[in-house]
Amino acid sequence: MIRFEQVSKAYPGGFQALRKVSFELPPGELAFLTGHSGAGKSTLLRLVALMERPSAGRVLINGHDLNKITRRQIPYLRRDIGMIFQDHRLLMDKTVFDNVALPLYIEGFTQSEAKKRVQAALDKVGLTGHERKFPIMLSGGEQQRVGIARAIVNKPPLLLADEPTGNLDPKLSLEIMRLFESFHQVGVSVLIATHDLALVARMHHRNLVLKNGEMIDDGLEAGGFDPLAEEYL
Amino acid sequence: MGLLNRNHDQRQGARAVHITRWRRFKMFWVNNLQQAIGSLGDLSRTPWSSLMTIAVLGLSLTLPSTLYVVVKNSQAVSAEWDTAAEISLFLRKDLQTQELQGFRERVRLLEQVESVTFVDRDSALREFRETSGFGSAIDYLQTNPLPDVLIVVPTPEYRGVERARALLQQLEQEREVTSATLDLQWLERLQALVRVVENSFAGLGLLLCIAVVLIVGNTIRLAILNRRDEIMIMKLVGATDGYIQRPFLYTGFWYGVVGGIIAWIATSLLVWWISASVVRLAALYDSSFRLTGLNFQDMMVVWAIAIGLGLLGSWIAVRRHVAAIEPR
Repeated sequence: MIRFEQVSKAYPGGFQALRKVSFELPPGELAFLTGHSGAGKSTLLRLVALMERPSAGRVLINGHDLNKITRRQIPYLRRDIGMIFQDHRLLMDKTVFDNVALPLYIEGFTQSEAKKRVQAALDKVGLTGHERKFPIMLSGGEQQRVGIARAIVNKPPLLLADEPTGNLDPKLSLEIMRLFESFHQVGVSVLIATHDLALVARMHHRNLVLKNGEMIDDGLEAGGFDPLAEEYL
Repeated sequence: MGLLNRNHDQRQGARAVHITRWRRFKMFWVNNLQQAIGSLGDLSRTPWSSLMTIAVLGLSLTLPSTLYVVVKNSQAVSAEWDTAAEISLFLRKDLQTQELQGFRERVRLLEQVESVTFVDRDSALREFRETSGFGSAIDYLQTNPLPDVLIVVPTPEYRGVERARALLQQLEQEREVTSATLDLQWLERLQALVRVVENSFAGLGLLLCIAVVLIVGNTIRLAILNRRDEIMIMKLVGATDGYIQRPFLYTGFWYGVVGGIIAWIATSLLVWWISASVVRLAALYDSSFRLTGLNFQDMMVVWAIAIGLGLLGSWIAVRRHVAAIEPR
């Protein structure tokens, strides 16, 4: 689903966020992306969502070379990627329903047509009955789940999550992770950037590790990586 | 339908949304309508700031359209004065009555000529004696110094400055004519004056239109920057620039619609205000001239210009600023 080939990213000013990163995430897989802050986790996700372009190397999604995607095509690419952010990125002046339905409106659904899908998505994240509320009336965990419902509402084949549990307590975090696991079980590819290593250790999924912009473990060798080992923290 | 799913079989549960082309087309218009109404709703939610911009747009257009009314009326007046153009032909004194009559007929039958009036030298002298005040002094003259005069009124098509002058030159060539005059200088001066006024009004109008575009553009720019986060989120979930731009373009459109109506009202009030003084001025010239305001066609043109300027201003703003907002 995602393939990085010798991808480097340098920001103006010379900061090298990623150095020759290569890995492959097959369709339908769930993987974690871990590393210290500033290791390049967010940059990697941003390259997948075309919020950044690589300085060198190629990123391929589903066989499409992202270097060949023009500016005008970016929106259509993003419609196939569900993105979840630490800060939720919800529209505060719109109801939960309208927030979740936003990708559908953009696709060309009317409100009544979007209803069934929005309800299904909210049901999935356990927020049935909150449609008419505004995000501000919800707790942090609930807001995060609204963000997840928005990401999955048009059933994208790929989900990206950047620190989705960053502001949540351990119990809620685990709930959110179980939610991602359930999407993975129905065939969605999921890539989660997180620094919650204890949680990663409990989940038993592939773990990609970045350190100073280099991928020091692509999680494929069995037993090659202990998320709680001192050297990675 | 997205880029990633083309020719790719998805596992259950991760199927792309499928929407046909016809649906997409239909929804484009439904979306447009929703966004048009939505942006009208946005205007009503911020009535004061919207009203300020709309008033600036409307009142800025009021000046050019009032000036247009003035120019239009002054053209009507000068067209009226054009009809006064007539050519005086001074004839040789040694002509026989028969020759005079023949010449008169010949001129009358010219296609450029509407009518001719013959003023014979005796009646001219009599009139001169009565109106000039020289009275008895003229009696000392041995002979009548005045020539016979043929006053030629050209047809309406030949009353313009250029054509009347051509006719004058043609008539001057006639054997019977000693000299001919066409009192056109004042007409030329008037027309030149009208042209100066027209041009400066047009320049002023253009400047005001540019100002309107800039003001609308700036308002829309602020609206875009106010909704920066929202635009970023919409881009993240796959909204095209076009989709994001449309509400702002519609805002500009509504500015034009309402601004145009304000321009109508303000122009009518202004025309009504000055028409009283114009009627008084016309009365002093023994004229029943009345100021005509904007007719239906003019109003439509003002409206179209207002909407065009609103759209242009918002288009400039969205072109520059919507594309510049990139999600972070």
